Amino acid sequence: MSRWVAALRLVGVGFFVGGSILLGVVAGLWLDNKLNSAPIWVIVGLFLGLVIAFYGVYRMILPFMGNKRDKENS
Amino acid sequence: MPKRGRFSFPVLVGISVLILALGVISLLSGALGKSLLGDIGLPGWLSVPQPHPELPAEVVFHLLGFPITNSIITAWLSIIILVGIFYAATRRVKLVPTRLQIMLESALGWLLNFCQSVAGEENGRRFFPVVATIFLFVIANAWLSLLPGFGSILITNAEGETVHLLRGANTDINLPLALALISFIFVEYWGIRSLGGRRYLRKFVNVGQFFRSMGQLVRGRLRAGLSGMFTGVINIFVGMLEALSELVRIISFTFRLFGNMTAGEILLLIVAFLVPWVLVLPFYGLELLVGFVQALIFSGLTLVFATIAVTHHEAETA
Repeated sequence: MSRWVAALRLVGVGFFVGGSILLGVVAGLWLDNKLNSAPIWVIVGLFLGLVIAFYGVYRMILPFMGNKRDKENS
Repeated sequence: MPKRGRFSFPVLVGISVLILALGVISLLSGALGKSLLGDIGLPGWLSVPQPHPELPAEVVFHLLGFPITNSIITAWLSIIILVGIFYAATRRVKLVPTRLQIMLESALGWLLNFCQSVAGEENGRRFFPVVATIFLFVIANAWLSLLPGFGSILITNAEGETVHLLRGANTDINLPLALALISFIFVEYWGIRSLGGRRYLRKFVNVGQFFRSMGQLVRGRLRAGLSGMFTGVINIFVGMLEALSELVRIISFTFRLFGNMTAGEILLLIVAFLVPWVLVLPFYGLELLVGFVQALIFSGLTLVFATIAVTHHEAETA
């Protein structure tokens, strides 16, 4: 992997975490407003956003973890 | 003392003294100096009125019932400037190029090199037009709003309100959102084109394992069926997460560009209010850098996501 790809992938991580949590919470707030069921959907949305954030970060840094393991073996 | 550059030593000293004096005047005449030292009777035109940054763009006029905001006008302006520069540079392409032609050729060559180093030789050429367009548009918008006097042109619109004629196009959230949607659509299009619709969709809707193990259950192989069922459910869940994280990209694209550009604009306004003259310059330099970096990040992330979309799912994780 070239230096550019590595740098750009890591640049995306921070805002991805913020964005996914924001998406979950905003969707939850909207649903709660619609169904009058505060705070159930906010909590569900927050949880879902956190799961997406964790999964996305895991996927983004997976290639780097692989690289490190290779180096340790050789 | 050897001569350095074009200026001799006394001239350099003179320039430094002038800059220092301007710095002191700026410190005294700004809001910062006034609150620290009190008003010492400097003329009023030296200071800058208190800024009122506004988040939504202001409507300048209506075109066929469609509100034209000041950020749209600036976006048009930067399109015109880009087209003008490229037209002037490529009108007469010579073997011995003019200075403008050399500048544009090296900039575009660098961009093409960047695309190919990230996405590979062939894909880099394929992604280059969109990536370079996004880069040039974002950087033109960012640097245009740094021109002196850019935000200080006031006009009166049809409703009788006094509005700014120009405003950095990146600081209106609609433009970053539009760019993010364009980038999203192109990434999906490239992914479908190079993998085929079914293979591309399998990344998001991954139900093969689930149904296979259901068949095993029906045929009475309980143990293998149940464990396969478990993996199948996880696969479906992971596919949903993939689809959602694709959507989250749009949001993170939008807010990264909008946030950085708006923060920079407000920072410049506030610093110009506190220390009006020379001491603002470092912040302008900072904003030049921020504009370049944001354009690079926006186009580069589009490039990286496109590269991920056109590679096989299995090949990428392995």
